[in-house]
This record gives sequence, structure tokens and C-alpha cells, in this order.
Amino acid sequence: MDFELTDEQDLVRSTVREFAAAELAPIAGEIDRDHRFPHETLPKLAELNLMGMPYPDKLGGAGMDYVSYVIAVEEISRACASTGIILSAHTSLATWPVYKFGTQAQHDKYLTDMASGHRLGAFALTEPAAGTDAGAGTATAVPSGDEYILNGSKIFITNAPYADVYIVFAKTDQERGARGMSAFIVEKGTPGFTVGEAEHKLGIRGSSTPPIYFADCRIPQSALLGEEGSGFKIAMQTLDGGRIGVAAQALGIAQAALDASIAYAKERVQFGKPIATLQAIQWMIADMATEVDAARLLVYRAASCVDKNVPYSTEGAMAKLFASETATRVAGKAIQIHGGYGYTESYPVERNYRDAKITELYEGTSEVQRMVIARSSLR
Amino acid sequence: MRIVVTYKWTCDPEESTVRADGTVDWSRAKPGLSTYDPVAIELARRLADEADAELIGLTAGGKGVGAPIATKTALSRGLDRVVVIEDDSLREAGRSELAAVLAAAVRQIGDVTLVITGDSSVDVAAKMVPTVLAGELGWPAVAEVTAVAGQAGALRVERAIPGGAQVLEISGPVVLAASADAAVPHVPGMKELLAAGKKPVDLLALSALKVTPRNAAMTVTGRSRPERKARKGQLIDTADPAAAAAELVAALREVGAL
Repeated sequence: MDFELTDEQDLVRSTVREFAAAELAPIAGEIDRDHRFPHETLPKLAELNLMGMPYPDKLGGAGMDYVSYVIAVEEISRACASTGIILSAHTSLATWPVYKFGTQAQHDKYLTDMASGHRLGAFALTEPAAGTDAGAGTATAVPSGDEYILNGSKIFITNAPYADVYIVFAKTDQERGARGMSAFIVEKGTPGFTVGEAEHKLGIRGSSTPPIYFADCRIPQSALLGEEGSGFKIAMQTLDGGRIGVAAQALGIAQAALDASIAYAKERVQFGKPIATLQAIQWMIADMATEVDAARLLVYRAASCVDKNVPYSTEGAMAKLFASETATRVAGKAIQIHGGYGYTESYPVERNYRDAKITELYEGTSEVQRMVIARSSLR
Repeated sequence: MRIVVTYKWTCDPEESTVRADGTVDWSRAKPGLSTYDPVAIELARRLADEADAELIGLTAGGKGVGAPIATKTALSRGLDRVVVIEDDSLREAGRSELAAVLAAAVRQIGDVTLVITGDSSVDVAAKMVPTVLAGELGWPAVAEVTAVAGQAGALRVERAIPGGAQVLEISGPVVLAASADAAVPHVPGMKELLAAGKKPVDLLALSALKVTPRNAAMTVTGRSRPERKARKGQLIDTADPAAAAAELVAALREVGAL
């Protein structure tokens, strides 16, 4: 068992860290305060081939391994968690199903542009009354000649206002429940498709998350992704991989909070000495460092399973469960270490704390991850 | 045209710690490209593209400088190939010795008309290697270079001087030391990182190079640290600014700081 990264993976980390320090960290606080989507960042991510890292070079991606991809998400999220999820949702949730289930025509039309970062993707599964119970969605896609007519609404759709390509899940057969769900590729600007106002959220405020609406929205038959009725399976398989990206985001947030805590503890003097010399602080740092390292091992192990083309559903769930809960715990301790200053916007740990919570919720709540792990353990 | 750009694979002192006995603990410092070398590589790459020249990275040092991570990191920055002299006898080499080795390597590479270096290395910051290297080659050296354009034998160089800038037309081979802010190094993309692993790495044996022998030996025989004085912790809280300033000046004169 080799726990060392390869040279390329090491180089990915140092390179993305350099980019994140120069381009993302300086604006992370501002886009959070202003609830501003960082438009200027996307072309830079695309130029560095970061928007489609795991996809083959000939399809517009960077042709890199999945461990390198999660390292990149981790380093980006360490500087700016909002940018981390913008990237991860595009790469793991929107681009992957087109890559995995798309026809050659769909690859030609969408995949190269998405993998190269020239078109932004969004994944639209969640509905107002169907979150964890994704199979209970009521959006419909009724066949009509050589088209489908979409009706319904989706909520909490990351990237929605700025995406060009949407993976939308809707029932083609309402009688069959989850098995009647199908997946579609819908383009921005299709008549009958509108984007609502973005939510004001606790964290990841630079990521835009509005509802989207379909009112007699006609899409061609060629927009069907995979087979009719396979939508739920496509969604679940997509989320299996997507949650590894979220786990990497959580890992980045946790690492940022830990780094800030170590730096602060060394500088803050109380009772005539740095608080880093106090055992109470040392034990908190020790626990934080251990948990972050454990999270890292789980995240990289899950990514490694993807690279080896072995099942990763359980491993991904473990990584996401542990990394997300670690991020929340570590960010909370980070504020504790910073004391009153940690509660102000003068230090980044309050943003880490607010950003961390969503990682326990989206792409499958911690409860869903526990269901997946229990099912696997109790087989 | 062949352009050589020298680079150093070394540890950043910011990542080291000082032990209680004054010695430096480098164990937690991870080696990387010296901070200003990517600036030099960026400047050199732009010129190489403009002049359709081959851009060759050159480094010399102890064990580790030839490691794949070191060469790939350098190559990912835009070099066409690298030439590496890895020899543990160079680990503690002085500036002039290192410059002599680099000069021998430049002569070995052949047909080189321009060498570009970084402003200084992050660990030593002596700023000596470019000029000593030029001396070894018998070429002129120009420091604080902010821009370079042209072709072999006809270069136009801009450099920063106190209060302004100077423009030079250089007709022969030359060593240029890039100013620390001469260029903003581009961050390599993921495809460039992957491509770096496929570019050539030429390992030169130190014993095979015709290095000008040193005619003097230097050995560090002692080091000392300045005596640490206890902080006075003197507070000047006079309300009137002029009186407070006078009090501060008097206090600084008393301790010999002014």
C-alpha cells in the first residue's frame, strides 16, 4: 500500500494551489459578501484545463486521473468553497452523465465544450417536494411527436443562472414512480424554460442556486439522455461520483480552517505567551489535524476506486459523510480558537464555518450516506 | 537560437524552523522551484517563442535536483528540455563553484547565445551566480532585466535602474538576470503538467564536464547570531504629538538606535 502521491498529483496540488492563491483567495471574501458569482474565474479555470480534468483529452478534458481531480477541487475549495462547488457540480454532476450515457451525437454537440469548460453545466434533480426522496419528483416529460414537453420545477440548482447545458430529470411515465424517470439535456434559452431568483444562503454565497421552471417547454427527442425510464439510475450513479467531489470540497474547507487556526494560535498572545503553547489549544489542533488527515485518506481512497474502475458507491459515501462532518466540526473549533475575532468577518474562519454546513446536505445528506453505508455493511 | 535558463531546486527558508541552538531545521521544508525562477522562465519562453528558439532549462546541485518531480516541475513551466547535473558534491557548493559548473554545462550544450537567470535564489539570495557565470563564459552580464526582445546576436534589453529604465542593444552572447517582477509567470495548465513528463531530461555527469578548477578554497569556520536584547517595552503616551515625538527620539538616542 503506497500512501504517496505520484509526481503528477504532487504537481497538480502545487500548481492549483498557486493558481488558487493568486486568483481565488483574493476574491473569496468579496464574492461571499456580495453574493456574487465569479464570472471572471471560469475562463481561467478553463484555460488551465480544470473544468474537465477526468475526461479524455480527445473529448476536451485534461485526461487526468480522479485523484488529481479531487486534489484540484480540494485546493480550489481551500481558497474558495464557492468556486469549488461551481467546478465540481459542472464536472461531476453535469458533464459526467453526458460522458457516460450520451450518444455520439450528444458527445459531439455537448461533451467537448463542457469538458473544455467552454460551456457550463448544471444538474437539475431536486424539486420542492422531492429532495432526499428524489424518486418522488413530479416534473414530467410527455412524449409528443418527435419532441418531449417538459413541465415542472426544480430547486437549488447550482450554476443555473449561468449554465448553458442542464441535465434535467423528469417523469416520462408517472405510473412507474422512480422507474418512470428519464434524463434530458436541455439548453439554455429553450422556450418555456426559465430560471428563478437565486437563493440567499448561509454559505457558498458565490455559488448561485436558484429554482428553474418548465412550462410546456418543448425539447427534441434527441435530448433524451440514456434510455427512457433510466433517469433515476443515471441520477444515482451521477451522485455516487459527485459526492466524492463534495467530499473534496469539504476537505478543502476543513484544511483552510485548520491552517488559519494554526497560524492564529502561533500569533495570538495571551497570558504572556502564544496560545499555541496552551494544552487546551494544542489538543484542539491535534484533533482537527487528525480528522482532516483521516478525511483526506477517505476522499483519496474513494477517488482511487474510480481510477481503478472498481465499485465506489460505499467508499464515496464514507468519504462524503466523514469529510463533511469533519469540515463542520473543524470549522467550529477554528472559530473557538480564534475567539471573538473568529466571529467577525475580519478572519476567514466564519466563512469556512458557513460554507462547511452545506457539504452535509447536498448531493445526499449525511443521513442518505449512512443509508448507503449501512446497506453495504449489512449485506 | 538556443536559450538557456538556469533554475534552482531548493527549499524555501519560510518553511524551515530555527532550533533553540540556532541551527536550521529543514526537515519539514519541501523543495520546489526557487521563487523567482518561474519569472525568468516566463521571460525566456516569450523570447524563445518570438525568436523561434529552443529553450533549455539548466540546473546543478546535490541529490534530488534530478528527481522526476524536480524536472517535471521545471518542464511544466514551458521549457523544451532540461539539462541536469546532479552530484552530491555540489550540495554545499559555493556560488562561484556552482557558476563554474553551470558555465561548463553551457559550453557542453553548445550554440548557446543567451543565458537567463532568476533575480536570486530563494534560499541564499546572494545575487552572485549570474555575474560569476558570465565571467566564467567571458560574456557580459546584465541584471535587473525587465524585458528582452530580438534574435541571437541582436537583442534589445530593458533594465531597471534607480529612478528609471535603461535600454540596451546587445550584439553578442550575454547573461541576463531577470528582475523579480519582470513577468507574471503563467500557471501551467493540467495538459502542460502531463506533457512535462514526456519532455527530454539530459543528465550530465559532473566528472565529464570541463569545469575551470578553483584556485582558492573557502570553508565556513564559524557562525554567530546577533545578541538578542530584551524588549524594553517602554510606552510613550504623552498626549501632545510633538512632545511624544521628542520623547521617542530621546529614547532612541539613549539606546543608540539613532
